[in-house]
Amino acid sequence: MMTLAQAGYPAAMGGATLGHYLVVSAILFTLGLIGFLTRRNLIIMFLCTELMFQASGLALIAFGRYHMSFTGQTFVIFVLTVAAAEAAMALALVVLLFRRRESLDAEAWQDMKG
Amino acid sequence: MGQFIQPFLMFGLCVLGGGGVLLALPRGGKSPQVLGALGAGLVLGLALLVLGLKAGEQHPVPYFYIFSFIGLGAALRVITHPRPVYAALYFVLTVISTGGLFLLLSAEFMAFALIIVYAGAILITYLFVIMLATQAPEEGEIEALADYDTSAREPVGATVTGFLLLALLTSFMFKGLPNVPPGQAASTEALLSGMPRLVEQSLAEHGLIKSGEHVALDAGKHAVMTDAGVKIEGAAGERYIAKSEWPKDLEVTNIQRVGFDLLRDHPGTIEIAGVILLMAMLGAVVLSRKQVQMDEEAKRLQALKLGEGGGA
Amino acid sequence: MLTAIGTMVTAAEPEGGGSHWTLTMIVVLPLVSFVLCGLCAAFKVKSKLPAWITVASLAAAFVFTLMAFMNAGPMIAAAGAEHGAEHAAASAEHAGHLTVHVFDWLNFDWGGGKSSSGRFDADFGFYIDGLTLLWMLFVTGLGTLIALYASEYMAHDVGLGYCRFFAAFSLFVLSMSCLVMASNLLMLFFGWEGVGLCSYLLIGYFYKKPAAVAAAKKAFIVNRIGDLGLLMGILGVYAAFGTVQYDKVFEFIHKGVDAGGHPLTTSSWIPVILPLLLTAGAFGKSAQLFFYVWLPDAMEGPTPVSALIHAATMVTAGVFLIARMMPLYTIDPAHTILTFVAWGGTITAFWAATIGMAHFDIKRVMGYSTASQLGYMFAGLGVMNSAGGAAHVFSHAFFKATLFLACGAVMHGFAGQLDLRKLSGVRKLPGWKIVAAAMFFGALNLSGVTFTAGFWSKDLILASSFEQSPAIGWILLITAGLTAYYTFRAYFRVFEGPVYFEPGDEVHGHDEHEDHAGHGHDGHGEESHAHDGHAQGHGHGGEFHPHAPGWAINTVLATLVVGCFAIIPLVGFAEHGAWVGKMVGASSAAMHGGEEGHGTFLGMNPHSVMYYVSSVVGLLGIAAAWWLHLAGRTSAAHANADKLEPALGPIVTWARHKWYVDEFYDAVIRIPLKFLSNIFYLLDQYLVDGLVNLTGFVPKGLGRLIRPSQSGELHGYALGMAGGLAVLILIVLMVAR
Repeated sequence: MMTLAQAGYPAAMGGATLGHYLVVSAILFTLGLIGFLTRRNLIIMFLCTELMFQASGLALIAFGRYHMSFTGQTFVIFVLTVAAAEAAMALALVVLLFRRRESLDAEAWQDMKG
Repeated sequence: MGQFIQPFLMFGLCVLGGGGVLLALPRGGKSPQVLGALGAGLVLGLALLVLGLKAGEQHPVPYFYIFSFIGLGAALRVITHPRPVYAALYFVLTVISTGGLFLLLSAEFMAFALIIVYAGAILITYLFVIMLATQAPEEGEIEALADYDTSAREPVGATVTGFLLLALLTSFMFKGLPNVPPGQAASTEALLSGMPRLVEQSLAEHGLIKSGEHVALDAGKHAVMTDAGVKIEGAAGERYIAKSEWPKDLEVTNIQRVGFDLLRDHPGTIEIAGVILLMAMLGAVVLSRKQVQMDEEAKRLQALKLGEGGGA
Repeated sequence: MLTAIGTMVTAAEPEGGGSHWTLTMIVVLPLVSFVLCGLCAAFKVKSKLPAWITVASLAAAFVFTLMAFMNAGPMIAAAGAEHGAEHAAASAEHAGHLTVHVFDWLNFDWGGGKSSSGRFDADFGFYIDGLTLLWMLFVTGLGTLIALYASEYMAHDVGLGYCRFFAAFSLFVLSMSCLVMASNLLMLFFGWEGVGLCSYLLIGYFYKKPAAVAAAKKAFIVNRIGDLGLLMGILGVYAAFGTVQYDKVFEFIHKGVDAGGHPLTTSSWIPVILPLLLTAGAFGKSAQLFFYVWLPDAMEGPTPVSALIHAATMVTAGVFLIARMMPLYTIDPAHTILTFVAWGGTITAFWAATIGMAHFDIKRVMGYSTASQLGYMFAGLGVMNSAGGAAHVFSHAFFKATLFLACGAVMHGFAGQLDLRKLSGVRKLPGWKIVAAAMFFGALNLSGVTFTAGFWSKDLILASSFEQSPAIGWILLITAGLTAYYTFRAYFRVFEGPVYFEPGDEVHGHDEHEDHAGHGHDGHGEESHAHDGHAQGHGHGGEFHPHAPGWAINTVLATLVVGCFAIIPLVGFAEHGAWVGKMVGASSAAMHGGEEGHGTFLGMNPHSVMYYVSSVVGLLGIAAAWWLHLAGRTSAAHANADKLEPALGPIVTWARHKWYVDEFYDAVIRIPLKFLSNIFYLLDQYLVDGLVNLTGFVPKGLGRLIRPSQSGELHGYALGMAGGLAVLILIVLMVAR
């Protein structure tokens, strides 16, 4: 398996392979997912989605570096944008929900089922 | 071509890590959180060690391990810490170490953008909301943690699902990764021909072209680059400056490349991103302006709480 | 509209110039009146303002029509003189006409505009010739008088209903003007449907009365059937000539070719099918043949409406259509369709007269009489005497309006009483002299008594009929006698004889916003009270006092009677219809002549002998009416005619039941349709709805199956997503090699 360093790009690489970064990214994603599934605090749940964004950003940049393409980085910019938008909306909603029930518990809204 | 990690070893590590995370999750009252955290950390270290061992002759630089370990450990704390404020602060740590990994991948611009946007802006908002949405303890009282913070929900199912997904993702790597060929960087000349003024300025600074001479442009206003080098026009006629004669700093930097990719190749996407941000801003304004009444249940709870306070 | 006036372009001879502005005003004024009446309704005007607006606008429109007539006078006179001199010389395009373009209305162009077949033009414009002016004169003139009459007649309804009435009235005059002055068939159709709509609105004016609503619907639906024919006829004209503009169509017909250059006489459909389709439309609007059923029922509307729309103007639109398109009818050398028109008119004339003889409702009698007289007009057109047809339209408009308005005055005064068995000797009541005189002179006209306008115009038709086809002539002559009989039957029963009356069982205002306190005459409350106790207390000793008509009604009736006499020189004392004949001669309805019939009246020239014959027949009818209904009559309900009834057997009953035509239509058309619709209803109910319900039921059942998964727990959903992702990746992993 070709390492990233072999690609001849002049910047410092540290000799790690693409796989290294992908494994780290996957673990980060899994941790975020587990956090989202287990925590009941709405704010923490949103923090966990941010963790997953981080993981996907890392994977994107690693792939971009591997393919010598900068579109990966460009994409991370958009991921960042979406994350910011999501945070703004989500937090506004959380504040609203909290004012209504005095609680951040996701299970407090169980009666909103369709 | 050997795999960088044995699949079975990886799966075993997944199971172990799952167990560790499971233990580390908050569970209300006494829970083996520390033990689980230690176990999970151990597995993490082990996995990274294996990764390092299998890297062959080219050992990754220690920075990769340091950043990964800090980032993943902090992420583990984010999802296990019962106090939201601490979780948010640990998340900052994760962001910073991810930024470090970005640096290792020579994505300097993204690394700093990430830290500025995430750690600087988004996380501050989170902290604000956390503080808004948490009742301050009465004076002299020890702050009581909310029930929904101290106990996880269905930790077993979630952990199993999560690590099953991880195992599947990694086995994907074993399968598909060898087939992915590494790409070639776009040539520096091609990018530079799109920036004739930069080339001209750099050449002039190093005295390679005289006043009155300028870089020749083709129909598309691009600098003319041939195998012989960049074409220069002037009163004295045409000549070429070979690549070997170019000054050292006539290079396309990382930021310039990202900028090229962003603005030249994805202009529409930027517009869409702008619209998304605008919509989010409007949405947030509209939502937070709304006057919300407490609903019946919340009022009842509040009354109950006040009544208890009065009785005590 | 105002800008359109500025952009008017003339496409005609210069001698007609200068009248465009006045012509446009004829259409604009009723429109203005319509809008103002609508505004009155919006502002809840509770006075007679809408009536005065309408009367003023229509009077102004009449003045403008007169001005247009003066302007076009020389042209008409020239063409008409030519016609009068030789009777055969004036053909359609020699007749002077004026085409005025007001604005582009429908203007389509396709296929690159290479040929005329790729265009469809229908301008909003006027085609002015003698026929148009003749019609417009009595439409606006009579419209003004009848609006004045209605201002008093509808007074009990002042308020929203009053505004509604006069808005529809103005709209009617607007539509009728569009119909008559149109420069093309499509604009004619626009006006045609407009008058149909107004007729519907006004018949159903008393919308709380089921009979009125049913009559309105009947009129509308029967007209639709005829209108289908008219629409198809218009499309046929377009298909044949590539245009619907009169002047271009007439040019083609004069050249004898269609748009493709093929001779018309060899065409298989243009000479026969096209006129037949147009005739269907004309018969529907003018209540001829099978279509006559709607007209008598239309008498449910307020009487001024019956007078204006269902006697004087709208129903003559069919006559106008055929007269206007006369060149199309005369393409066929055998005149097949004209013969059909003549027979259709003749049969209707006779048929309706027989029903009119037996009916007891004086307004219905007038309704049947209208259908009958319209039959005369069609017969006149059909026997190639368009001047006679038009003259009869003209004189009929006056005397029938007079008769209707007199009937309306009676109805108004006697609380809706129309039964001629319950009224008698009205002439002898105080204040009813003018009404009785108007009724009398109107009846003289209708009966065709010597030297009245009705006499002259009817004679023209009768004489030509004998010329063309003695069978038609004889039937029409007999009908003339019947007409005289039933007309004077109504007059003798109601206005002569011993004084006796019963009030009607209904007041003519059905809207609840009737203003009892503000009523100038005897209160309606009093009337209905009188009715409650009328079982024994009828007659003039009772509480009921008939209110004699006021100044507006009397003025209008007097004017109309004077008008009936004033028009005699316009239609009479000449073999070809005098002034009216000249007007028609200067129009598209001018007859080519040369087809002088060879029929005779018992071996004599019908034109010279008919004056005497028809006079005798008319007087005979009147004498019969006198003997049967006046002589020795002592009560309102019984007369000598009752003795005759057993001798005639069931015929009288049949006639009284309108020969059971409505029942026949019921059995032949309505009941099968209803049966069919029931079948379709059942199909819809069980088959279609069943299928629809089934498709609704399947997803419902499926939904019930998976509903428990929607617990509302956020984590459950997230877990499902993650699990689903895992499964997807597993699948991809196993498939990807």
